[in-house]
Amino acid sequence: MQCAYACRSTEHSIARRSFLGGMLAGAGGVLGGAFGGFARPAAAQQLASTQKRVLVVYLAGGVSQLESWDPKPQTDTGGPFRAIPTSVPGIHISELLPYTAQQMHHLSIVRSVNTNENDHGKGSYIMHTGRREEPAQPYPHLGSVAAKYLSPEDAALPGYIHITPGGNGVSASEAAFLGPRYGAVTLGNGEPPRNTKRAESLTEAADLARNDLRRRLNDRFVARRRTAETEAYSYSYEQALKLVAQRELFDVTREGDAELARYGTHDFGRHCLLARRLLEHGVTFVKVSHSNYDTHNENFDFHIEQLGEFDRPFATLVGDLAERGMLESTLIVVMSEFGRTPQINHLYGRDHWGTAWSVVLGGCGIQPGAVIGKTNENGTAVADREVNGGHLFHTYLKAVGLDPHEEYVIGGRPIAMADPSADVIQELLI
Amino acid sequence: MSQGGDPWRGCVSLLGIVVCLSFVSPLATGAEPPLHERIDEQIAAHHAGAMAERASDAELLRRLYLDLTGRIPTTSAARAFLDDPSPNKREQLIDRLLASPAYARHMQRTFDVLLMERRADEHVPAAEWQEYLRSSFATNKPYDQLVREILSADGLDPAQRPAAKFYLDRAGETNIVVRDVSRIFLGMDLQCAQCHDHPLVDDYKQDYFYGLSAYLTRSFIFTGQDQPATIAEKAEGEVKFKSAFLDEPERQTGPRVLETTSLVEPAFAEGKSYVIAPAEGVRPQPRFSRRAFLATDLTSPENRQFSRTIVNRLWARMMGRGLIEPLHFDHSDNPPSHPELLDLLATEFTAGGFDLKALLRELARSQTYQRSSEWPADLDAQACPPESFAVANLKPLSPEQLAASTLEATGMSEAIRAEFEQQLRGDPRLGEVLAADEERRTLREEMSEQRLNAQLLGQLGQFVALFGNLPGERQDATEATVHQALYFSHDGGMASWLTPLGQNLAARAVSLSDPALACDEIVLSVLSRRSTTDEQQEFAHLLAAQGESGRATAVSEFIWALLASNEFRFNH
Repeated sequence: MQCAYACRSTEHSIARRSFLGGMLAGAGGVLGGAFGGFARPAAAQQLASTQKRVLVVYLAGGVSQLESWDPKPQTDTGGPFRAIPTSVPGIHISELLPYTAQQMHHLSIVRSVNTNENDHGKGSYIMHTGRREEPAQPYPHLGSVAAKYLSPEDAALPGYIHITPGGNGVSASEAAFLGPRYGAVTLGNGEPPRNTKRAESLTEAADLARNDLRRRLNDRFVARRRTAETEAYSYSYEQALKLVAQRELFDVTREGDAELARYGTHDFGRHCLLARRLLEHGVTFVKVSHSNYDTHNENFDFHIEQLGEFDRPFATLVGDLAERGMLESTLIVVMSEFGRTPQINHLYGRDHWGTAWSVVLGGCGIQPGAVIGKTNENGTAVADREVNGGHLFHTYLKAVGLDPHEEYVIGGRPIAMADPSADVIQELLI
Repeated sequence: MSQGGDPWRGCVSLLGIVVCLSFVSPLATGAEPPLHERIDEQIAAHHAGAMAERASDAELLRRLYLDLTGRIPTTSAARAFLDDPSPNKREQLIDRLLASPAYARHMQRTFDVLLMERRADEHVPAAEWQEYLRSSFATNKPYDQLVREILSADGLDPAQRPAAKFYLDRAGETNIVVRDVSRIFLGMDLQCAQCHDHPLVDDYKQDYFYGLSAYLTRSFIFTGQDQPATIAEKAEGEVKFKSAFLDEPERQTGPRVLETTSLVEPAFAEGKSYVIAPAEGVRPQPRFSRRAFLATDLTSPENRQFSRTIVNRLWARMMGRGLIEPLHFDHSDNPPSHPELLDLLATEFTAGGFDLKALLRELARSQTYQRSSEWPADLDAQACPPESFAVANLKPLSPEQLAASTLEATGMSEAIRAEFEQQLRGDPRLGEVLAADEERRTLREEMSEQRLNAQLLGQLGQFVALFGNLPGERQDATEATVHQALYFSHDGGMASWLTPLGQNLAARAVSLSDPALACDEIVLSVLSRRSTTDEQQEFAHLLAAQGESGRATAVSEFIWALLASNEFRFNH
């Protein structure tokens, strides 16, 4: 009988000692109804003094590795563009990325990614969670893991912010068993989070007055009833007040016209500047999505246009983070759900390709100016140091100081933070 | 009932419900003391020290409404109860609430979330499934029968098709269905046992998982041309398994529920095992259905785990904590806090014919349930852990309870009911419904509740999105997030409910010129109790600060502070 293991136990080795002893606190408590909200994992405590951050730039639809990080000029698959030298001697990338090329000494390329997945949703899941989708077990996205384990427990700002061309909202599902407070807060087109603006009719004074009243009512009620749950609920209102008070943090125009001009006045430019603003003000994880690279036809025209929009704001952001001394504490990842086929189809397009493609990392914990792995002559297969989404996820966690070999305990079941069948890409780390 | 159609359609069935609601509890009769007294004896036997006092009328009123009808009481219901001098008004209230249309609705919502865990619709529309559940609870269908229907329906018979949602909307994935059957109906999360004996729980054997699988392994979803998906079954197919950890030969098991002996299957002559043989595009039908026996074997009185699990669940709903915690982790290394009590409840529930209402009634009548959630000043908190039930446990409102209660508190629900009554008066065909006899009154309540439910559904989505847990997760615990607080603080819809409109709470409070009366109206509507002197002073203060022109603002602020308080957020 074909057995689709819901918990994939063949791949996770359950360590009884680790289950009984040094597990990550919190996660199990949330599901058990005990509300681990105030429990602080040891890992996060160690990090409190040196807050780490993560920036993910997500090139939605699947950027072509051949038109970006792994050019193959003069081959049957290479397409029309040249490769240009970068600020790191010996590393060449596509001529569509001239500004990024000048920041290459802050970045590294993994050219040997094989996620073996050509479906948008499934590929995206692998890249965000480091695992394949399982019907019975959702895993937390990198942003939620970072929000939970890297953010100070009393942070007023959300730990996981997603800036995207789409709509505004909250996505609790990405946090899976970590709990909804670690879900993504989506800033649709860079707009501030939902419900952070007071109605015209509600003055700040009136809002503060009614909250004073709320506190006094609560004090009377919980005087002889206090539980962790009542504490957490009361605290959520304090957090809401702080978030409303800091609403202008989400207003990118406060950066001034000159800064906006440096980044470019189009959406992606504004979104990158907003990402810098948020990271500077202590947001732990920011993801900026750039759409859309799903170029089944006219791949080359589209990449001129899309990467033309991507290149300068991204390079400016990397440069600014370096200049501000933030790179040592900020991990940068540029990813897609997959790459694109080396074969060029009859519509001058490239199709979905998870077999041999590239991801770029930089900043916190990452060795700068490195190239890991390679593809063959015309990019049709990985030739050296093959890695998958699991290896990358391990590496992200390790780079920001978390131990990917630790385990969550969910409903009495130990679950490794990162896929145990993969491991850290050691040579990429400092 | 559709709003535009013939108002008399469906009345017969609605009247039928009325008859069914006048039940006599089998649990309260006989020579033994009533079950609720035996519950209290067991709780007392396990607890040496002091306990919290009996809950006040107001505290119990709110708790009973939330637990039995899923919302807080109206101001008129609250006033009537608090002013009622009758000594047995608590028992009367319990019976009245259990007989109300809102009880069936609340149970429908509770069991929908328990059984389907907020999954997106696949094959059976949620509305049909929910109506199936609602009418099951309205007629107080025995729990074993309900579960048998859910596990045996094949989706072919239109009358029973909604019951097939449990299987169909899990896409007929045997491993998922087995996991959920074990967790939801047996209180044992056997997911780990799919691949090996549970590494940490000695009781959870891989054989258990595959014993349950064997009932379902021959079933699959059949989709014929232009036909809705149904569950079909083959006459052959066995489960084979081996531990993912051990190097051992493959094993095999017949269908069985936990430790019961394997199902004895009839043997058929070669080629005689089908009523309808499988063929291209044909829905096969075996002479013997293994799946049908899952329903009977699982719900059999012989299977103690079945009744033990549901009584523990209902206990947890009422008392804020299961006798076994976590609810799906029943095994010998995780014993119940009160083993004899759990046994007693399971035995009585089985003997009484799996009567949900009767069990809830006895739980609600117990002193244990009716204890205050307030710690007496001299009580040692360490000596009264949550599992002692010496002090009532706080329960966060579910998203459904919170939505219905927010609309009730702000007077928006009452406006919907008033509009319905208005419509009845204005419609000569409906005039007779207003006649004062008991059956007509109940019918009107039913119709009014349906109208309210339809309106509430429009608001429910955002409460579920903000306060609900993820699909497939336990749904009765949720974590506070800043987005919940932001929604209550600044959402436009929420703000409109706090602003005077028609006869809503804000409008009523603004029209009361005596500040003490206005304050009392607000506190009664939001918190289901009389206001304190402190609160009246707070309110007067707020009015003075805002001045006469700011009266509506002051009222809104005061209502908001109450709504945003812990006292509203929790069932206490």
